[in-house]
Amino acid sequence: MRNLLKTVLTNKPGWLKASLVCAFFISCGIIQSFQGKNTEPYVLQYPANFGSRFVIPANNPTTKEGVYLGRLLFYDKALSAGNNISCESCHQQRQAFTDGKAFSTGTDGSLTTRSSMSLTNLLWVRNFFWDGRSPGLEEQVKFPLTNEHEMGQPLSESAKKLSQTTLYPPLFAKAFGSSLITEDKILKALSQFERTLISASSNYDHYLAGTFKPTTQQLRGLQLFENGPDPKRGIRGANCGHCHGGVKTFKELFHNNGLDSIAADIGREQFTGQAADRARFRIPTLRNIMLTAPYMHDGRFTTIEQVLDHYSEHIVQSPTLSTFLQDISNEAGGKNLALTKNEKADLAAFLGMLTDSSFISNPAFSNPHLVLNP
Amino acid sequence: MYKPKISKRCIAVLLLFFGVTFSSLAQNTATLSIGGEVTTPLELKLSDLSSFKQVSHKVKDRDGKEHVFAGVALIELLEKAGVTTGAKLRGENLAKYLLITAADGYEVLYSLAEIDPEFTDQIILLATTKDGQPFGTGEGPFRIITPNDKKPARWIREVRSIKVAFAKN
Ligand code: HEC
Ligand code: HEC
Repeated sequence: MRNLLKTVLTNKPGWLKASLVCAFFISCGIIQSFQGKNTEPYVLQYPANFGSRFVIPANNPTTKEGVYLGRLLFYDKALSAGNNISCESCHQQRQAFTDGKAFSTGTDGSLTTRSSMSLTNLLWVRNFFWDGRSPGLEEQVKFPLTNEHEMGQPLSESAKKLSQTTLYPPLFAKAFGSSLITEDKILKALSQFERTLISASSNYDHYLAGTFKPTTQQLRGLQLFENGPDPKRGIRGANCGHCHGGVKTFKELFHNNGLDSIAADIGREQFTGQAADRARFRIPTLRNIMLTAPYMHDGRFTTIEQVLDHYSEHIVQSPTLSTFLQDISNEAGGKNLALTKNEKADLAAFLGMLTDSSFISNPAFSNPHLVLNP
Repeated sequence: MYKPKISKRCIAVLLLFFGVTFSSLAQNTATLSIGGEVTTPLELKLSDLSSFKQVSHKVKDRDGKEHVFAGVALIELLEKAGVTTGAKLRGENLAKYLLITAADGYEVLYSLAEIDPEFTDQIILLATTKDGQPFGTGEGPFRIITPNDKKPARWIREVRSIKVAFAKN
């Protein structure tokens, strides 16, 4: 090849030389991107009842190499300005990728303005964050990486730092066909890993699959969760399913669930600019909910009992309060849901069925650096 | 003794006042967008709809009671936006649908043929009033009324956008 090139370069007229050199580099380029395509597809596994209403960007297919790289990055403190925090700091596996805090501490010691969210079944989410302001994972991940209250480091700096390691360049080459580390590839690898965080193995899933028999208390809780109250017909309910319904335990809707009369955080309105969106937040998944306290966008409730008390007795009126939470009661003409103490315990028992212990112990989601440097 | 009573009442009146002004304010600024497979994307405010022919339906809502909903025939808005209706609704255009999205993100789907008067006698309405009054918050300013749907789940409230698209498989 080299000889051929040499002969061509010395013997042929200029224009032919030039075009042949071009062709040589183009074919190198093809070989390079071909290497990236030598990757092995990562098969995302989930139950059929989850449905496949999700879109994976065509330019970022999920591959084993990309997912592994993303997992390393997720747990790497080099992506923070002070080399002191990683994604894990606020998203810990044993807490279903939350951190147990109302507000989390960023690289510079300052606090985030909202509570960390569980990273579960993100594959199906279409509008990320509490206010749904981000339309895709690749876009979303720029925020924690660069925001001053989170990891606070420009993407260019992250790419530079990773390029100077011995660990990363070969891994980027395996995942993306070239060892050149770019901002775009960092975002893509992290997103690939995040898509694999699927929780579909709770007792609730086993119950739906017919392989788990709930206790009578759990079954009562499930009924309450799904039913809307109808005192005239003697049906008691908590109506949670209206918003948190379906197998994934969320509907991707934005509602004001009656936390405040005057909201300190205007939620979705900040993004849409529409007054009707005041204090509307995305309905979060309730999967692994027993592991993800404190609750709500500002972590105001520390226990699930407080959450149930809220929905039962403390819904606060405001002009944008969800219509699903108005004029709904277990007592004829009642002003609030009015669940009994036992009913709240039943609901809590059902919510416990959403804990997926295999999700929080899955070695494929754990810190891979510990295996690399034991 | 007397003071707190008065101030409580004052607060109640103030809250009511703000509530009402809020609701009308929010409704006047809200817009409805029609986009996707259209020749003229539209961005409509409540006031823009008065220039269209007004239609009304008396139908039973979710509360089990009959109400008069008035507004504009959805097909007219689609025609204004240049959607392939009428004689053009044939061939591949029969694989087009409308994805209607509400303020809270709720979505429902209609096929074009379900809305076109050459296919159906039912007039699907983009309603702007109920019993002669503008909608309250959480329902308006725009709501779809589909009289022949027995279950009103597609009578979507707080409509924010209508997207015309091809079903791709
Ligand atoms: C300092 C704490 C902190 C760090 C570090 C952090 N996050 Fe977050 N994360 C949050 C908070 C707080 C939110 C909610 C923010 C909001 O809604 O405005 C969030 C939300 C998210 C969401 C949205 C989930 C959803 O359902 O919409 C994703 C995805 C996410 N983070 C991924 C990451 C990744 C990947 C990293 C590392 C690159 C990371 N986070 C680092 C605190 C953190
Ligand atoms: C009107 C829709 C709606 C209904 C009905 C509803 N929720 Fe929620 N729920 C939400 C929204 C929206 C949020 C997020 C609110 C926020 O953070 O400001 C939320 C948050 C939560 C959270 C906190 C999740 C977290 O990750 O912090 C829990 C727990 C919860 N809801 C449980 C329930 C239960 C139990 C019921 C039934 C008693 C219920 N919800 C009924 C809309 C609803």
